[in-house]
Amino acid sequence: MASTFSGDETAPFFGFLGAAAALVFSCMGAAYGTAKSGVGVASMGVMRPELVMKSIVPVVMAGVLGIYGLIIAVIISTGINPKAKSYYLFDGYAHLSSGLACGLAGLSAGMAIGIVGDAGVRANAQIELLLGYLRTTICVGRKDDCILRIIIVFYPLN
Amino acid sequence: MAATLGDSSSWSTALVKISPYTFSAVGIAIAIGVSVLGAAWGIYITGSSLIGAAIKAPRITSKNLISETAPTREVLSTLSQRPHSFVQQKVPHIVIFCEAVAIYGVIVAIILQTKLESVPSSQIYEPETLRAGYAIFASGIIVGFANLVCGLCVGIIGSSCALSDAQNSSLFVKILVIEIFGSALGLFGVIVGIIMSAQATWPAKSV
Repeated sequence: MASTFSGDETAPFFGFLGAAAALVFSCMGAAYGTAKSGVGVASMGVMRPELVMKSIVPVVMAGVLGIYGLIIAVIISTGINPKAKSYYLFDGYAHLSSGLACGLAGLSAGMAIGIVGDAGVRANAQIELLLGYLRTTICVGRKDDCILRIIIVFYPLN
Repeated sequence: MAATLGDSSSWSTALVKISPYTFSAVGIAIAIGVSVLGAAWGIYITGSSLIGAAIKAPRITSKNLISETAPTREVLSTLSQRPHSFVQQKVPHIVIFCEAVAIYGVIVAIILQTKLESVPSSQIYEPETLRAGYAIFASGIIVGFANLVCGLCVGIIGSSCALSDAQNSSLFVKILVIEIFGSALGLFGVIVGIIMSAQATWPAKSV
């Protein structure tokens, strides 16, 4: 074993950890966004129950972040197959970085969606600001979508 | 030549000495342990708000029960007229969302431990065996931490759901929709964990 050790035996460790990072951090962002805006919706709904169903938008946006992480995690983990294609340390590190990119972008997007959604639904109850806060949450969600597209474009180059 | 290649990546030199069974065992432990931590955290966040709000609005403990169908409501209303009825001891519906997270952790931990196979000691540090150990470890981390944040999320939303339900009972079903979005996160973790555990193929025993 020592004579043929080239470091590539441990490459799957980094690859799988990349898939794990993609899902776990995106789920953290999605959970933060869902919880924070959900609390805002519940508080606002006491005074204006008719606006609750319209204010679900930030919760849906945050849930989509979890789906982004799921997609990237599945793409990465099915790409780690040393029997089909040799898996070098380069591939392992590439998967780790793409997983971290997706995951941490999802985490930040989720936190932003949570804060904006919470403030937005509460303000929406007082003034009809629906379009303003909706545009903000969609812009934040789109940033993570861009990261996802970059990762999918660069993935075949591995 | 081969010695210098190994020296250039010190992470690899350290990692390759750790047995894959260590990684697998730690992964399985994290899958169930951290999931149950998330479920417990969510239940105590929800439960404390629920019980506190129920002081002034006792109907919310029974309202958060399994279903809103008419027969159940009749049964519950007759039961709740009795003092110390067993209705108050029933588990509120919101808490069931949190408990599902713990059940996901148990299911995946059982699935992962059935993936373990024994390998003769000459083959323990083969690349394929190492990969199987890493796959189970990563699968356990995914399930554990996804369920942890899911349990937290559902707990926080559940507590605000109970509080708003105490004010206005029509809000309960609407806030429950938000909680369904939250509990989907644990499901994502389970799906990816099971897909990744399919990668844990141990080498066939060499004769």
